[in-house]
Amino acid sequence: MVRQSAIVMEEVTDPGELNKARVQDERFERNFAWFQAHAKEIFAQNRGKYIGIAGQRLFIADTPDEVFAETKRAYPEDDGRFIHYIPKEKLARIYAN
Amino acid sequence: MRIDGRWTLFDDGASRPVIWGEIRTGDGSWLKAPFLVDTGADRTVFSAATLGGLGLAPIAEAGISGLGGKTKSVLIETQIRLTREGQAKVLFRGQFASVTEPEALDINVLGRDITGLFAVIVDQPDGLVSLLAQQHRYKISPPD
Repeated sequence: MVRQSAIVMEEVTDPGELNKARVQDERFERNFAWFQAHAKEIFAQNRGKYIGIAGQRLFIADTPDEVFAETKRAYPEDDGRFIHYIPKEKLARIYAN
Repeated sequence: MRIDGRWTLFDDGASRPVIWGEIRTGDGSWLKAPFLVDTGADRTVFSAATLGGLGLAPIAEAGISGLGGKTKSVLIETQIRLTREGQAKVLFRGQFASVTEPEALDINVLGRDITGLFAVIVDQPDGLVSLLAQQHRYKISPPD
């Protein structure tokens, strides 16, 4: 087992990168707003599945690679996509790894 | 520096403090990803869903333990980017652990390898999730 290295923090100053990031954030916000509006039904109907949101649409698959590929295939320009796993059961969660 | 998150509804009906950011993928693009602000976590850890979307090869096994004992995990080298005030970005570069089993972790966890660089505010009654550093400070006021 390898010992984990320390994390280095840097500020992003490149205007081109910041502009690209701002556009990605705007796309993400549209996807996230759509997801929030449909979250309850998405959670209830897709337990144990990976979901992806892109182009304000839902994608469902059994593996993260599959759902990621589907969102990318359907909306290649939408870098505001995101993926998420919905646990099989509703249980109280303790994170703190 | 101020990095804001939001209280976010999860599938179990609970709201938890989450900061959205991006993680650098194997092809150089940035994947949007949520991070649970977990003040009890020693390390930042990615979920299996995130690991699958990153397309990065693990560099080693990682050692992570939680409530259920030791969890199968790997170490990857990448960058995390978070949004600070004024839509600017801050980058965290290094090695991060990731679980490999989906049920082990349903969301990425922002641990003290990153949150330890900040004052952390996780205030549910006031709906506030913030990481503060440099010129940004918080103040606790006595009752009027």
